[in-house]
Amino acid sequence: MSWNRVAVVGAGLIHMGELFDQSYEQMARGAFDAAVDSVDHGFDPTAIDAVFVATQRGTLWGQEGIGGNTIPSAIGLAGVACTRVENACPTGSDAFRVGCMAVASGVHDVVLVIGVEKMRDKSSDEGLLARAAAGHPVYTRGESAPVLFAPFATRHMHEFGTTREMLASVAVKNHHNGVLDPYAHFRNEVTIEQVLAAPPVCSPLHLLDCCPQTDGAAAIIITAPERAADFTDRPVFVAGFGVATDHPYLHEKSTYVGLPATVEASRRAYEMAGISPADVDVAEVHDCFTITEILDIEDLGFVEKGRGGVASLEGETVLDGRIPVNPSGGLLAKGHPIGATGIAQLTECWWQLRGQADERQVAIRNGFALQHNVGGRGSGVSVVNILTTNAS
Amino acid sequence: MSIAAVGVAAPEWRVPVASIDAAWGRSPGRGTLAVCRSDEDPLTLAWAAADRAVAAAGVAPSGIDGMWWGCTRPPFAEGPSWSTLAATLHLAPEADGALLSGSTHAGLDALLAAADAVAAGRVDTALVVTSDALLPATGTGHETSAGAGAAALLLRRDGGPARLVHTAHRWEPRLDRYRGDREPETRETYDGRLFREQAYLPMLGAVGDALLVDATDAGRWSLPDPDGRLARALAKRLRAGTTSAQDVAAADRTRLGDLGSAATLVGAAAALGSPGPLHLLGVGGGRATGCTVIVDAPVPGAERVTADLSGGEEVAYTRVLRSRGVLRPTGESVEMAVPPGSAMFGRGAGEMLGLLAARCVDCGTMNTPPDVHPTCISCGSTKFDVVPLGRTGTVQTFVVNRTMPSPFEAPLPLVVVDLDDGGRIQLQGGDDGAELSIGAPVDLVLRRYAVERGVPVYGWKVLTRRPVAGTDEEVTS
Repeated sequence: MSWNRVAVVGAGLIHMGELFDQSYEQMARGAFDAAVDSVDHGFDPTAIDAVFVATQRGTLWGQEGIGGNTIPSAIGLAGVACTRVENACPTGSDAFRVGCMAVASGVHDVVLVIGVEKMRDKSSDEGLLARAAAGHPVYTRGESAPVLFAPFATRHMHEFGTTREMLASVAVKNHHNGVLDPYAHFRNEVTIEQVLAAPPVCSPLHLLDCCPQTDGAAAIIITAPERAADFTDRPVFVAGFGVATDHPYLHEKSTYVGLPATVEASRRAYEMAGISPADVDVAEVHDCFTITEILDIEDLGFVEKGRGGVASLEGETVLDGRIPVNPSGGLLAKGHPIGATGIAQLTECWWQLRGQADERQVAIRNGFALQHNVGGRGSGVSVVNILTTNAS
Repeated sequence: MSIAAVGVAAPEWRVPVASIDAAWGRSPGRGTLAVCRSDEDPLTLAWAAADRAVAAAGVAPSGIDGMWWGCTRPPFAEGPSWSTLAATLHLAPEADGALLSGSTHAGLDALLAAADAVAAGRVDTALVVTSDALLPATGTGHETSAGAGAAALLLRRDGGPARLVHTAHRWEPRLDRYRGDREPETRETYDGRLFREQAYLPMLGAVGDALLVDATDAGRWSLPDPDGRLARALAKRLRAGTTSAQDVAAADRTRLGDLGSAATLVGAAAALGSPGPLHLLGVGGGRATGCTVIVDAPVPGAERVTADLSGGEEVAYTRVLRSRGVLRPTGESVEMAVPPGSAMFGRGAGEMLGLLAARCVDCGTMNTPPDVHPTCISCGSTKFDVVPLGRTGTVQTFVVNRTMPSPFEAPLPLVVVDLDDGGRIQLQGGDDGAELSIGAPVDLVLRRYAVERGVPVYGWKVLTRRPVAGTDEEVTS
């Protein structure tokens, strides 16, 4: 595959949480300022010639008609080219991929990808739980978000002997990492016992197996490698990306112990980057529920299928483990403001590759960081982006 | 006109009468009442009884060319009640029939209307369905008698093991239980003694006497027993000395409660298993009707009647009030994304109610539901046969969701089922899901998924299969 490379020259986010005092637009402004401020040589926003906005659920903040023209005005760039990208939980990561293609094609020079999600202007019942009444009136009725993943936990436990303790170890690790991340929604440790004793949500998942509903925004600035020197001496490059889909109904899955969309999206990304899973130094993966991270690390090739629970319990994914996963705290601790999530994960990858992750910095050996989301009806869409310090 | 098969159904839930009395500070009454979960109603009960009758007869549903359904509470006061039930049963598209309602007399109305249509040669095979789930006003005495249940008969012109030989009618404009327009709950009789002396005993007594004019054998009786005492009083009156109390089958009154328009046929169902005359009496809305059935040989389906009515998960009164919508969480309910009046429901109604799949002509894969699958998920073919999915299978995986916004009721199981005859389907569980496990055998049953913007929406749910306890001894006791 021949494509023009893309460089990341700035990235930033706001402190995730229940941001009751901030509007959608104010969150966007905060993330935009953070990304601008992160550019090493300073940055004049008028250099941006295209914006891609990632917002998954316009309905959550009452503006169902949200489109490309919502953000530029809020960040002082009214008039700039702007397009909204929506692709379920991978909305932010796919907006980044689309932005990269805009740069790689040579059509656009400097691109802002900004993810914003207002999850908490509505109560939990009216927010993601209300999803239970969407879709097919019978065949998906009652399918609130945990139902997309909990059946995989039931089956994974049945086939591989995965235990609730193994699931809980994911929450314990990610909450620990969240304590070290100043942007995380939750900044408290939890114990295995606390996770096991939390109220049941959707069997076999309990409350601390689930990510919170979080407001947030994140932004990233990309450009062509030859232009990157104007902005920084330490750019990070896009090594590859992949998106893949699967059938949308839960009863159409070829397996209930893995997510084929993740397997295929990562295969495409690895091939584009010319690397294998063993080359990845750090990964930010989609841990909307504890079981999801266990499926992810198997589907992404970090551990053998079926070993995800054991590997988590044995510490293979902690900050100084064999393959550190979710150093930012992941969706479980940092939060899951859907459109912003992927871009916040990419920001963490950018910091990790540049050695700016402070207490949660992991060892960078090969110079590759992987970012991943999966979701949508039947968890049928996945996006993987791979960043690298290697210029070529 | 002959009876070819019989089937019955009742909800699993039983609420002790004493628990209702306790909530209202009354002295405790005896017995239990069959009550609906929030996803059961007279239509789902009608389906269950009819499905069993059809199975017992061993006929193809497409060969059933008429259905007469008697019910005081069809799911739509005005609307597609009859056609919705027909779709769940896969009746012949040209099927004749009627929905009879208006009073508890509707059960006998349905039986005789179907019998007439068969006798006249208008239909070959007729389904008679009677079902009811009485909705009493909360806190009234009526609440300690109202039950739920259904019975169905399959009628043919001749050759069946039982035959209808005689009918009798009386009418008097008497007010018994009633409900006016815009009233959701059925009112109890104004004065129980008045009803007994002026309506129930004289009218049913006269009809019973008429049936016995030419009879040599007083036989067995099935009649409604609204308060648990009237049937016994009537039995004494009907040819005192020839009809003993144990010959009166009052629809298992002490365990199921008053079954309204379904009471007579539910009460008669088990008796169709043994030869002899059987007198059926119905009353309601100022009418009384009786008919005599001569059972020449056991009617298929009668042998499992006792087992099918023997369910019995005891539930608390508060759970009943919740399922009835009396206890409901404050705040807004989440609306279904697609309004039931929309074109999507028109496209999807047949396949949702009929549990239809698009079977790929090239590779056999079942694509469900058909209207969102123009392309086979396995091989990419675009050629399909639309067929009903089988209703038995095993659990591939499942969850029990305990965190649900209104109008959903937790715990709510969701189950992925591998169907025995091919295909896989994701559906809600039809109970609390406590018995679900991977690999467990399950059955699909019709349930009400929602009442959306006032419209009942039906689909199929998953129940873990339990061993059938029925034996000949139990049935004939």
